[in-house]
This record gives sequence, structure tokens and C-alpha cells, in this order.
Amino acid sequence: MTAVKTTETAAPAGDIPPALPPAVTGGARKRRRRGGAFDRALPYLLLAPALIAILWLIGWPVVSVFVTSFRQLNLGELVRGEIVWTGFDNYVTVLQDERFWDVSVRTLVFTVSVVVASVGMGLGIALLMRVLTPWVRVALQIAMLCAWAMPILASTTVYQWMFDQNYGILNKTLVQLGFDSFAGYSWFSSGTSTLSVVGLLIVWQAIPFLAFSLYAGLVGIPRDLYEAAGIDGATGWQTFRAVTWPEIRSLLMMVTFLSTLWDFKVFAQIWVFREGGPSGESTTLPVLQYLEGIAKSHFGVAAAISVLMMVILGLITFQYLRKLLQTEEGKI
Amino acid sequence: MLKKSAANVVGLALALFFLFPTYWMITSALKPKGSTITSDYDLIPFSVTFTNFVTAWTKPGFLSSLGNSLLVTLTAVVAAIVIGITAAVAMSRFAFRGRKSFVLLMLVAQMAPFEALLIPMFLMMRDLQLYEHLSSLILVYFAVTLPFCAWTLRGFVNGIPIELEEAAMVDGCGRWGAFQKVTLPLLGPGLVATSVFAFITAWNEFLFAKVLIRSQDSETLPVWLSGFQTAFGTDWGGAMAASALFTVPALVFFLIVQRKMVAGVTAGAVKG
Repeated sequence: MTAVKTTETAAPAGDIPPALPPAVTGGARKRRRRGGAFDRALPYLLLAPALIAILWLIGWPVVSVFVTSFRQLNLGELVRGEIVWTGFDNYVTVLQDERFWDVSVRTLVFTVSVVVASVGMGLGIALLMRVLTPWVRVALQIAMLCAWAMPILASTTVYQWMFDQNYGILNKTLVQLGFDSFAGYSWFSSGTSTLSVVGLLIVWQAIPFLAFSLYAGLVGIPRDLYEAAGIDGATGWQTFRAVTWPEIRSLLMMVTFLSTLWDFKVFAQIWVFREGGPSGESTTLPVLQYLEGIAKSHFGVAAAISVLMMVILGLITFQYLRKLLQTEEGKI
Repeated sequence: MLKKSAANVVGLALALFFLFPTYWMITSALKPKGSTITSDYDLIPFSVTFTNFVTAWTKPGFLSSLGNSLLVTLTAVVAAIVIGITAAVAMSRFAFRGRKSFVLLMLVAQMAPFEALLIPMFLMMRDLQLYEHLSSLILVYFAVTLPFCAWTLRGFVNGIPIELEEAAMVDGCGRWGAFQKVTLPLLGPGLVATSVFAFITAWNEFLFAKVLIRSQDSETLPVWLSGFQTAFGTDWGGAMAASALFTVPALVFFLIVQRKMVAGVTAGAVKG
């Protein structure tokens, strides 16, 4: 989800002290006395549908994934409705499987590369947009909007076509440029190559959001700060370090955090390209979870993988998450 | 000056990089049959035809999956927005015990890694006898988008001065009247932006759509398109036309909110 927008649009509102209930102010006071019980219950009544939905559709699955991870639950048990507790057996199975460690390392390397590349380029483009001639900037923004708006499955299909072994435009262009070895070259013959193409696709589609958000942040920096830096004779790099960086640091942290959340759980693109292949070499944790749980119907083992996924994601985002919750709590 | 033109050249190159897949999707879709799969170097199309779009439109499953996608997405988003508004108003307009916890719950819930809840969701939908029913997807997409909608709308409601509502109440409006006549109209742009982002999320979703729905009649568009090779073989022109048709609703919605979204982010950056 695009939660940044969230926090950013919420930010100006966050500066306004929490609104007092209308009941506390003058004219409404009488009203409050009349309908006291109803008025006191009203906020809870308004929140009830959302709260019930969240507890039912998010809270319960979270509990359930932990519970399931301690059960032996394959298709047989599921059909018979049996409950077989196996303690930590599923975790032992998963953690002793060498493939799990390979896949975890691969997922981490993939996530970090994609996040660094997309945030880095997003920042670069945001900085670049400030110095562009207006019409070039608009052209770039429209182009980025097209990339951003394309549904994931549509862009995945287009990339499959562009990277097609025999008739893909990329191979044809490379041959035209004189690299004859690319005639009929398969970009999906190894896991690394497959994941690189997937990574390029994800970075290409992630940059627009990052560039737009960071550009908006840059535009918001007061102009006199730059004028002051200019008068002091600061070089471009010094100005960046002293003026730009402190102003966008928190926004940059925020989008890096969100990108990590999003890129860690990528499934559709990886699955559609080669279903985690060739021979499992492009399998990441979400794909492994799907293969174990849905394809092989080993629900208990898959639930253990899900829990471990959440643990890994929690570990890499823990520091930031804690800080975020603290600041937000202060603002509420 | 030299520096500026160098920047412009880089900017234009990047614009090409971002635009190319869209360009390639559209031109491939417009090429006549037989001239898509060719060894000729055909970066610029010389003849244009719409037969690929007709092919895609009439492919078995395209229209039904388009209908399913629209049904599932719109139902889930409308439900999430309606329930999201009530929660947002409660969180931003009332002081009550536990308010802080509710707000933090929304914040945490919208960051929940849904993909990691695939197995319990699958088991739950099976227990509820909703497996293979579109209603299971509606529930999942509703749950995915609800915390985001509630949280975002809370920000928008906070941005509307409460004095306006109070003035309406002094003038004799009830609480509901004040909300309906003052807050709701001012919330318009925020509602549009929030629902579009919720729409895009549900429109794109693939994993749950694949797992919870197996019969072809109930497939959503992403799943149908992922199996395009069964539908199109190596007919890349038809596949590109289908992708283009899939992109249109999302692109339209994006154009509607683009300006609003950036304005919102800017406002946040200035003050924050």
C-alpha cells in the first residue's frame, strides 16, 4: 500500500492538536447532557465495524499462522479435520533444510539490492528534476506516471515480451549494435539473471513513486536556505550536505522503510517469469511459502516459513519501526 | 548553461527509459498479425491495425475476468472507504478512552505483511466455505485496504478545522447534519485520492487471487493475464493488447489523483 502518502498527508494534520470533541465546547454542551450515554458510546459505535473487521481478518490470521506452525497439517489432516500438534517439528524441518537458508539469503540480497537501487535512483531523479527545463521535467513526469500506473501483471507481461529469447526487442537491439552473441540469448537461463530482470522491472516501477515523493520534499525546502548557502560560498556538495540532506533525511528514511516492506514480499513478478526457476534458483521466501503451502499442501511447514518471514522482516525493520511508532504516538 | 543542457539530456534519456515499455506495449498491440513475431528490426511500426484488441477482447475469459476484477475491487474499496470514514471520524473528532491505541492499531495494521498471512487466510476461507468464491477475495481486499483508508482519511479529517462543524451546530445542525453538510464535502478530494490508491492495490493483487480462486469463471484479470500463454500461445500482439486494456482503468484513475497526491506530499514536507 502507499502508506507514505498517508504519513505525509497526515503530517500537517499531525501538527494540529487532537480535535476536542464538539461536546466540550460551548453550544454543544447542553446537547451532550441530553444524550449523554449515546454520545459517550458514539465513538465506539463508529469504530466497531473497523475494529471487528481488523480483529477478524488480520488479528485472527496472525494468531492462526503461529498456531498452525505448531501443527502437522497436510492435505490428509485438513480433509479429516484432525488436529495434530507437533511442537517445533515444522521449524526444525525448515531450519535444517539447506534450501531455506539459500532462499533466505537470496531474498535478503534481492531486497537490499532493489531497495538501494530504487531509492538511490529515486533521489537522483528528484534532485535532477529541480534543475530541468520545465518542459523536460513535465515529459519526465508523464513518462514516470505511465510506468507507475501500469498494473503489475501488465508490466510483467510487457517485460517478458521485451526480454523474449528470439523476438524480444532487447536482443534484436543488441544484435543491431553489433553484439551478435545476443541472438537467441536467454535471459532466464540462470536464477541470478532471472532475478536481475525481475529486479530491473521492480526498480523501474518503484522509482516514480520515490522520485515524486522525494521531489515534493525537495521543493518544500525554503529557498532562502539555499540563498544563504550561496552567499556563504558553499559548493554544490556542501549545499547538499548542509541544506538538502537534513531536510529530506526523515522522508528518505520513511520511503526506504516502505520500499523494504514492499520489495521483501514480492511474489507476482517472480512467479510469473519462471515460477521461481530455473530449478528453484530464483525462488524467494514468498515463493517458497507458496510452493510448500499451496502447491504441496504442507500447511504446517508453510506456516512456519510465514512466521520466519515475519521474523526476518521484523528484524530488518525493527529499529525504524520503533522510532516511527514513538514519533506517531507523540503526534496523536 | 552547459550543465543545464547536460541535465536536460539525462532527463530526456530517463523519460525514454520510463516510457519505452508503454510505447512497446502499444505499438506491439497495434501491429498487424504476423509482423509482431519477426526477426526484422521493427522499433517503429509502419502499419496500424486494431485486430489485436478485438482478439484480446473476444478471448474466452477476458470479459468475465475483467468483470470479476471490477466487481471484487469496487466492492472491497467501497466497503473499506465507508467503514474507513466512520473510523476516521471517530479517531479524529472524539476524545475517548483507548483512542491512542486505536490509532496505533491502524498504523500497525496497514503495515502488516499480508503475504505472510496466506496460509491462515486460505484455511479460514476454506472453513467459511468461501474458497473458490469471489466473496473471499472481496474480504481479503477489504482487509488489506481498510487500515490504509482509515489511517489516510483520519489525516484528511484532521485537516478540516473542527470550528466549521461547530459553527454549523451552533446554527442548528445536528451532529450528523454538520458532518454531512460541512465535513463530507470538504473531504471530497481526500476521498477520491484514498479510494484510488485502494483501487490500485486491489486491482494489482495477484497472490490471493491465484490461491483463493481456481475455477476459470471466477478468475480475476491479473491471474487470467498471467496464464496468457495458454490463451495466446506466442501471440504477443494479442497479449500486449490485453495488457493495454488492463492498464487503461488504472491509468485513468492515476491521472485523476496525480496532482492531489503530490500536493499532499508537499504540504507534509513543508511542515514536517
